[in-house]
Amino acid sequence: MGIDFFIGLFLATLIVALFTARLYRLILWYSMNSLALGILALMVGKSLDDEAMLITGVATLVIKAVGIPYMLKYFSEKFHFVRQIQPQIKTHYAIMLIPAILVFTFYLSEPITHMVEGNANYVAVSISSLFLSLLLMMEHRHVAPKIIGFLSMENALFLLGITATGGMPMLVELGIFFDLLMAIVVMNLLFHKEEEVRS
Amino acid sequence: MTIYLMTIAILLLIAPLLLSFIKALKMWLLYKKPISIFQGYRNFSKLMQKETLVSQEASIITRVAPFLVLSPLLATLLFLPPVTHGAFYVSFVDAFTITGLISLSTFFLMLLGLDSASSFGGMGSSREAFIAALVEPAMVLTIFSVSMMAGDLGVGQAGANLTAHFPKEHTASFLFAGISFFILLVAENGRIPVDNPETHLELTMVHEAMILDISGVYLAIVEAASSVKFIIFSSLFASLFMPFGMQFGFLAALVIFLAKLFLIATAIAVIEVNTAKLRLFKVPNLLGIAIVFAFLSLITFYVLGA
Repeated sequence: MGIDFFIGLFLATLIVALFTARLYRLILWYSMNSLALGILALMVGKSLDDEAMLITGVATLVIKAVGIPYMLKYFSEKFHFVRQIQPQIKTHYAIMLIPAILVFTFYLSEPITHMVEGNANYVAVSISSLFLSLLLMMEHRHVAPKIIGFLSMENALFLLGITATGGMPMLVELGIFFDLLMAIVVMNLLFHKEEEVRS
Repeated sequence: MTIYLMTIAILLLIAPLLLSFIKALKMWLLYKKPISIFQGYRNFSKLMQKETLVSQEASIITRVAPFLVLSPLLATLLFLPPVTHGAFYVSFVDAFTITGLISLSTFFLMLLGLDSASSFGGMGSSREAFIAALVEPAMVLTIFSVSMMAGDLGVGQAGANLTAHFPKEHTASFLFAGISFFILLVAENGRIPVDNPETHLELTMVHEAMILDISGVYLAIVEAASSVKFIIFSSLFASLFMPFGMQFGFLAALVIFLAKLFLIATAIAVIEVNTAKLRLFKVPNLLGIAIVFAFLSLITFYVLGA
């Protein structure tokens, strides 16, 4: 029951993020998304009795739910990002597009769900959130929301990892975390460069 | 049957209290001196004593419409899910009936706004039509999907079923339906992100614009109708989306139910203090989110069974 609730919360925060037109609000929704993911990892880890997954869950909570949103906000203040990020896809179209994507991905993942035992629908939710984060990247023109779309895509993959495979090796997870941190540092440099070019 | 009638009487009695509670809580949160929570009753008795003036241009509709605004809502009150275990309830009323009755009330409210031929009334009515047209599909979808999860199309039966055995495997779609219904609760009752119930500023008002031209008893009836509408939505939310606490005795279950209503009112007040009113042309975006969540809840339930 609890796991189902947080899976729902994960998808819900992602969908609300798709409609957001403000950068700080988008960062907040990303943070909520990661929070749901971290709690999910902790719950799945507890039910599988997998200590490594508990560690990755705590790392998700610390790095993705607090650290990365805080850094993104810090950067956006430092480099004066555009904070009005009106999505390129109008809301009227998004209202039709998002359910279409969801239905498509739910049926797309049906063959896979037969192969996975246990909670098969988690796979469908994570694949659909993968597509939705792709949409989040597509519908924005500015750099910062695109980065958030990229990070949400990583969240979706992480969800696929913890639910479909019954626990990825922790080494892989930690590798991904360091990758993300490196990516954030590189993005910082990029923004710095952009700032220099503009000024 | 006594419990059923008593519950409806209690709901009717606390309806003005709940709206005044929201207002008082909002004022307290804004460091103002709060109004008394019994202000709703005082306003009602004051308006009942006042002279009723009707515009010269108004037709018979102005005299009839206030009653027709209130009566569908009173009828809906009879069809709500039961508050305690073993209480009487009407089981055959489904999502379409409840939505239809509420829209009927809205329809007469719009006619009332148009009837006196003032520019404000027409403006308010057109805005209300704009919002109501978007609320209805989402509401039908949401209540329908919750009743499917509960295993019965009747709303009353669905509320009883949800408390008796909560569909644990459908928690995800239940959550989506809950989000959608909360947005509808805010939109249909004209709370802040959609409509500000306190201003008389011509750019922002929707509900107030329609009732500018009526006075006295008619105004009292329309105000009562809006508080009854809030109690309908909040008790639907309480029994469909917070399904617990019904198995205790009558008194305990009633206290828990009222506590849920006040919890919803508190949530509304906190949201109202923290958000700015949306531009009217941004309202479809908010309701679009509600429609997306309602649809998502239905397809998650059907396709994934989650």
